[in-house]
Amino acid sequence: MPEAAQIGFQPAHRIGLLIVSLLLVGLVLELVRRRRFKERYALLWLAASGFVLLVGLVPSLVVWFAGILHVQFLTVFFALSFIFLLGLVLSFSVVISQLSDQNRELAQEVGLLENRISRLEKNDGG
Amino acid sequence: MPRVLVIIPAYNESETIAAVIVNLQRHAPEYDILVVDDGSRDNTAAAASAFPNVQLVRLPYNLGIGGAMQTGYKFACRNGYDVAVQCDADGQHPVDRIKDLVGHVIAGSADILIGSRYVANTGYTPSVSRRVGKSILSRAVDAIVGAGITDTTSGFRAANRRVIKAFAENYPEDYPEAEALVLLHKAGLKAAELPVEMLPRQGGRTSISPKNAAYYMVKVGLAIFINVFRRNGRTSEKV
Repeated sequence: MPEAAQIGFQPAHRIGLLIVSLLLVGLVLELVRRRRFKERYALLWLAASGFVLLVGLVPSLVVWFAGILHVQFLTVFFALSFIFLLGLVLSFSVVISQLSDQNRELAQEVGLLENRISRLEKNDGG
Repeated sequence: MPRVLVIIPAYNESETIAAVIVNLQRHAPEYDILVVDDGSRDNTAAAASAFPNVQLVRLPYNLGIGGAMQTGYKFACRNGYDVAVQCDADGQHPVDRIKDLVGHVIAGSADILIGSRYVANTGYTPSVSRRVGKSILSRAVDAIVGAGITDTTSGFRAANRRVIKAFAENYPEDYPEAEALVLLHKAGLKAAELPVEMLPRQGGRTSISPKNAAYYMVKVGLAIFINVFRRNGRTSEKV
């Protein structure tokens, strides 16, 4: 297993990564505490920040993986981030589609119910 | 006597809606009329509610033509109508032919009857680009549906109970006419067409601008393509 330092991963990078991941974990936990997240998204983001934390703590894991693929450390890091974000955005599209379907049904229901109420009121008055 | 409902979806059509209603009541006084106000910002709802015998459903915000039309089908389904007729609020549809459409549906010659612009002697001349786009689309849809429909995008149509139920459960969202035919075909329902003469729009603006034409083609094309690979359309909703 090649050393992290050999491929240009300096201790300063590691500290930076650790700080970023700790901030991310803190932010996610705080958002969960304030109930700004649904749990399913909280878990997703916790997993993501956990991954950043892991890379900061044990960069040789990613270095080893990069070695297998014969690519640079950063390439692996960005590729994984990209795949994660792609999956996240796709899942958002699915959720938005569901919400807009439900939203349409709700609007239709409101319109139909209003019509029914006004018909009932008319019958009551006459 | 079969009960017939004319569904008029309207978005900012206050200029023309009253004339369309008057025309309908003159040519088919025994039909019920439902105006679905699709979140208009003008006086469309007020203009429609001036007619005491016209039902009005006001959507709280604009859903687009698909959502508005489906509201009409849900209304027809829940209130037990035998036939539902789609009619534009801009006065383009020849209201005097409405009884011909409905008559064919009642007679059972098809589950849905489409008033078609392209059958001989109809005097309808759309722009070249629209004609090309629509004819490509029409051919694609007709290749799937195989009912010899030449005008799959016409919004002047009459539907029986089975179609009403199908559309109340599932109706495409934007530019829905062609896609709706594919859905019906998958449900095993039969479409037929009747030549009618369309009139120039009496006021207001078309919902399809040239800018949207490309989106229209791609979206409808994709929707139709995907529908071919679906078993039973989208998962059905509660009606």
